[in-house]
Amino acid sequence: MTGVTLSRWSMSYFALAVLCLLGAEALMALGVGYPAADMAAPETLVLVHLVAIGWLSLLMCGALFQFVPVLVARPIHSNGLALPTLVCLVTGLALLLTGFLQLGGGAGPAWSLLPWGGALLGLGFALALWNLGRTLWAAHPLALPARFVTAGLACLVATALLGLSFTLVFGGASSAPPLLALTAEGLPLHVVAGFGGWLTFTAMGVSYRLLAMFMLAPELDGASTRWAFRLGVAALAVGIIGGTLTIWLGVDPAGMLLVAGLLGMIALSLYGWDITQLYRQRKRRRIELNSRMASFALGNLAAAALLGIILAATGTLADHSGALLFLIAFGWLSGLGLAKLYKIAAFLTWLECYGPVLGKVDAPRVQDLVVEPRAACFFMLFHAVIWVGTLALLAGAPLLFRVSAIVLLLATGAIAAELIRIRRLADVRRAIRLPQGVRQPRLLVSMVRQG
Amino acid sequence: MAVDFVDVDVRPILRGGGEPFGEIMAAVNALEPGQGLRLLATFKPVPLFHVLGSKGFTHEAREIGEGDWEVLFSPADVAPEENAPAPQPADASAWPAPARAMDNRDLDPPEPMVRILAATEQMQAGDVLEALLCREPMFLLPELAKRGHAWRGAFQPDGTTYRILIRIDGAEAVA
Repeated sequence: MTGVTLSRWSMSYFALAVLCLLGAEALMALGVGYPAADMAAPETLVLVHLVAIGWLSLLMCGALFQFVPVLVARPIHSNGLALPTLVCLVTGLALLLTGFLQLGGGAGPAWSLLPWGGALLGLGFALALWNLGRTLWAAHPLALPARFVTAGLACLVATALLGLSFTLVFGGASSAPPLLALTAEGLPLHVVAGFGGWLTFTAMGVSYRLLAMFMLAPELDGASTRWAFRLGVAALAVGIIGGTLTIWLGVDPAGMLLVAGLLGMIALSLYGWDITQLYRQRKRRRIELNSRMASFALGNLAAAALLGIILAATGTLADHSGALLFLIAFGWLSGLGLAKLYKIAAFLTWLECYGPVLGKVDAPRVQDLVVEPRAACFFMLFHAVIWVGTLALLAGAPLLFRVSAIVLLLATGAIAAELIRIRRLADVRRAIRLPQGVRQPRLLVSMVRQG
Repeated sequence: MAVDFVDVDVRPILRGGGEPFGEIMAAVNALEPGQGLRLLATFKPVPLFHVLGSKGFTHEAREIGEGDWEVLFSPADVAPEENAPAPQPADASAWPAPARAMDNRDLDPPEPMVRILAATEQMQAGDVLEALLCREPMFLLPELAKRGHAWRGAFQPDGTTYRILIRIDGAEAVA
């Protein structure tokens, strides 16, 4: 046991991730993609992947490089791999998005960029998986939160493989029958593996630990947590592996997805029960903004589950999948991500700047780096406008959705400005801001001083 | 490659209410290169996994009935992390009694770390600080190493309290 040091490049991941989020929201505000275009239109694909890879996956990778070592009490396998991983992911994403625009008859070379984008993204995710996988492997047997993360990483493999096969077919690089069948029928599997497995399941695992840590609540490892894990894994396995096999057998995968959905709902209910217990059993009565806003995101997850059930029961899931996906991607995942990022950025910046001088000089507390009442307004606006946007999509009101997207962009921009202020120590009292031995942190890189 | 395991059965010590940590570490230090340790205990010794993990051992734990556990610690062929602070000596038996003790279990993070580092700056070289925490202080340990302090820490048998002993400037003394 040697403890955990700062992950040097995590801030770069976070910065690029937030830029992608702002970019995606700007596209929605401009009326690019769904609902103005079809769900499978190239513009919508650009939008969805900017959110799923550019924003959520970069955020998740940056956070995991820092927090998987905390989860398993071991150092990260390699600090040096984080930067090449980031370069592969960003370049791969740029090629993928350009490739989508080519599908719509846009500019670019005559040969498709899609397989190249898919391959570079695959390489970037493989590097991230190798790094995180080796760290987790060295620490087994794993506690439950780390097992959730491991299962999430397995779903990342499935998501990337499915995506890669789509790019090979769409890019004209392959016409193998199994890949053609997957491309024709496998989109729901790709979405379930990505949003349900990689992003949601990993976020669930991390939230068990972070919420307990920040609210001084006891760690959960009882029957409800174990069954949430088992049933969640079962749901994902039935949906992704079962779905793939039924497609290859020439059968509609809807039945498999229904079973997966039912299992997933039970897992989510158990998770909801657990998280309610965490909030109830916390020793810290007055909780910080990040935990308060995380509760909104968790409420959105519950709302998304309910909406999913209603849409499936009324047979309107296909018509309203865009609204459901919007609520999951923005209300749940982005809401949780931004809330935790607000805390993580402050904590890591504080540790980087003031950790070396703690006890030696008068240094600020973590909470001196933030102004929560100001940020709370932006977070509340963020959530309120997501609810309006979801209702606008459900009601088929594209103009109202665009107005929501404009307000969403403004709210996110304000939260991003708060994050930059944290990194710049802009809200710290001048008297204690830069004591002797403390340097202004760089915006994008954490300086790790050794010995 | 088959690993040659040295058996250490600490169940009699544990049943007698004793603390077998010293005996286990003595056995670990006496291992030849390539040798592993087969430990028999009356509970799953999770804190040991981290301690021996930092010494380059992987482990496999299995329950062998009546609540007893068998853990195989095998030497891993993994090179130690280049930049990681060196693992601190776990044997604190020769340390003086703690000059200061603090209970930080109910403090919001990172207040336990702030108070511990503040205390270490006020104490004399060679003094020992004892602190109780509600989790493993992952971000504190590299900072202690940078400042040249030695530490020994582990979860208590209750599984929820982490007790750390810090010896001021102790890293040089044992290096």
